[in-house]
Amino acid sequence: MHDLLQRFLSLPWDQLPQWLFLIPAGIMLLAAAGAVVFRNLIHCALWLVLSFAALGVLYMALGAEFVGFVQLLVYVGAVSMLVIFAILLTPSDEVSASNNPLVHFKLSSAVNAVIGVAVTGLVLVGLLAAIFFSPRAGGVTLPAVAPTLPVAKIGENLLSHTLLPLQAVAVLLTAAMIGAALLAKEDKRS
Amino acid sequence: MLQILLAISAVLFCFGLLATLTRRNAILVLIGIELMLGAGNLNFIAFWKFSANPEALTGVMFAIFSIAIAAAEAAVGLAIVIQVHRRLHSVDVNQATQLKG
Amino acid sequence: MNDFFKLIWDYVLQFLGLFLKNWDAIPTETMRLLREFLAKLGALVGFTTPQWIIDAICALVAIVAIIAVFMIMFALMSVFERKILARAQNRYGPNRVGPWGLFQPVADGIKMLTKEDLVPRAADQIVHLLAPVMMVAPALMLPAILPYGHGMTAINLSSGILYFFALSAGTELAVFMAGWSSNNKYSVMGAMRAIAQMISYELPLVMAAIVAAFAAGTLSPDGIVQAQSGYTAGFLPNWYICTPWGFAAGALFYIGALAEANRCPFDLPEGESELVAGHLTEYSGFKYAIFFMAEYVGMFAIVGMFVTLFLGGYNAPFPFLEWIPSYVWFFTKIAAIAFSFVWVRATLPRMRIDHMMQFAWKFMLPMSFAALLALAAWHYAGRNALGWGLSAVLVAAPYLLLGRFCFGNRHSPTNRRYYFSE
Repeated sequence: MHDLLQRFLSLPWDQLPQWLFLIPAGIMLLAAAGAVVFRNLIHCALWLVLSFAALGVLYMALGAEFVGFVQLLVYVGAVSMLVIFAILLTPSDEVSASNNPLVHFKLSSAVNAVIGVAVTGLVLVGLLAAIFFSPRAGGVTLPAVAPTLPVAKIGENLLSHTLLPLQAVAVLLTAAMIGAALLAKEDKRS
Repeated sequence: MLQILLAISAVLFCFGLLATLTRRNAILVLIGIELMLGAGNLNFIAFWKFSANPEALTGVMFAIFSIAIAAAEAAVGLAIVIQVHRRLHSVDVNQATQLKG
Repeated sequence: MNDFFKLIWDYVLQFLGLFLKNWDAIPTETMRLLREFLAKLGALVGFTTPQWIIDAICALVAIVAIIAVFMIMFALMSVFERKILARAQNRYGPNRVGPWGLFQPVADGIKMLTKEDLVPRAADQIVHLLAPVMMVAPALMLPAILPYGHGMTAINLSSGILYFFALSAGTELAVFMAGWSSNNKYSVMGAMRAIAQMISYELPLVMAAIVAAFAAGTLSPDGIVQAQSGYTAGFLPNWYICTPWGFAAGALFYIGALAEANRCPFDLPEGESELVAGHLTEYSGFKYAIFFMAEYVGMFAIVGMFVTLFLGGYNAPFPFLEWIPSYVWFFTKIAAIAFSFVWVRATLPRMRIDHMMQFAWKFMLPMSFAALLALAAWHYAGRNALGWGLSAVLVAAPYLLLGRFCFGNRHSPTNRRYYFSE
């Protein structure tokens, strides 16, 4: 018993933390699959949120805490709410039509689906082949010291190296806000 | 480990592509685009973690800007979807054919 | 076996000895003793305890302690809120259960536990079940980054403020899940109101927090509290609330916190008179209790954030009061702000929804930008008469302008005419 405990404790536990990122990664992929396949749009949106939250946790597990928090703040807090509001504001027939799929069966949409799945499969196979069988594959190793992400350095970077992109993003966000408000505004003429 | 991360990101990208290509609802198409952007961000973070010079923070800055742009894209895209629904009473991307030449 | 008891006795004595020395350091010293004790316990049994086991046990102890403190605060708040409200309305309030009605939370808990858990047949069962979980999980994670005293931050994150707001974003989702899954018109309307309100008030809330973060030059709550220690001219504490820009930002944060916690006068989502109970309509029994608990814990967390950002956290208000331990100050300030929340609830009527949204977008958001500008003026002019004057003008001018143009004479109160339907 004592021996067993000792052996259990002397397993390579220090290797474990660097593989823990597989948990959020798995959750993220499952949730992304859910977001794609479910029929109910709200369920899709909820799976999407889970997927984004898991992606944020994955960033944190990889050492980029700041990006993970930004991801949670932007996607779980803002984008998911936008998606949900949009779903509720646009009552769609995709949900109601699902009661009897044969009535609404269209050859064109079936062909669309088959082509889509085929293209996606090809892309996936190509990407995975490029990742695992390219000549340079496997040559990269983790740096000796795991990289950290000090917040102060991000701030300095934002205001020195990436000042122009920062201002461009500010202009873009302002334009997007005005544009979205104008687009979604009720048309007075009709 | 970098390869595993890239493979995860590739699978995520393909889920997004699948949603974009096969679903008819415009909102789900946007969801697919968001998933693909997330896959791109994951690649940035992975390459930052394994880069020779992580102090430069290049990948992280890219990811932060990309998240900001994705938020703007989602806002405008969903506003367009709402406007399309107001005009056509449908969010089916196959029916929005007014601009078809 | 004898060694084992001797070790325990030794550390119990050391723990008791802490009370004879510096009271301020009792919690941190206790954690240090626990670490030592665990290491020696392993050595006694015959192997070296791995560091991660010690870390995990200490983390568990910290988690249990923080959650227990917040649960006790929730229980006390639920009875004191009713008593204070009652006093404000010339009533006695709960006084039957235990001395002065202090055991009322226990009775409430038993009632909630034994109630039947009703789920509507048309509800989305799984989402309906997950909504309370989604609500309570972030609420319980929020207090982790608050600095309770000198060196008493459970997780000392360098981006703690961001963590706080990222997690509190999860509440909106939980509210939506609760409202939508109930399959009830009033639930969805209440949930949509709640989400619109939370999103609108999150902007000025975050902007006000950014003002404090800018002033301290860090996103870490502990760093912000440390930046507020010390006194100006020997008596005025360096709290951000004592400066013009800090006062504006603090007031905005306070109002935003009221709205985020769904407290009166922003309790429209649960407006009983028009929406039954908003997103909580179809919840009963323990799930309802969990929502209730999450709301109160979230409220305490955001009050703790307010105290951290603007009220100097664990710093004493006057130099001659510094002998009182820092954590006592922190919780005293939380209690004072919580009392003011109840006071506001007893005083103000509920706002109308369009007034509420106008207030957030047309008044609070521009004011938060003005506070940021005032902080910039303060930063460049320095902590002198010029700085005080400039930042005071930069805060007061937009306040008067916004008050004149957005809520000006157009909406001044007139004699209301009542129309009856006879």
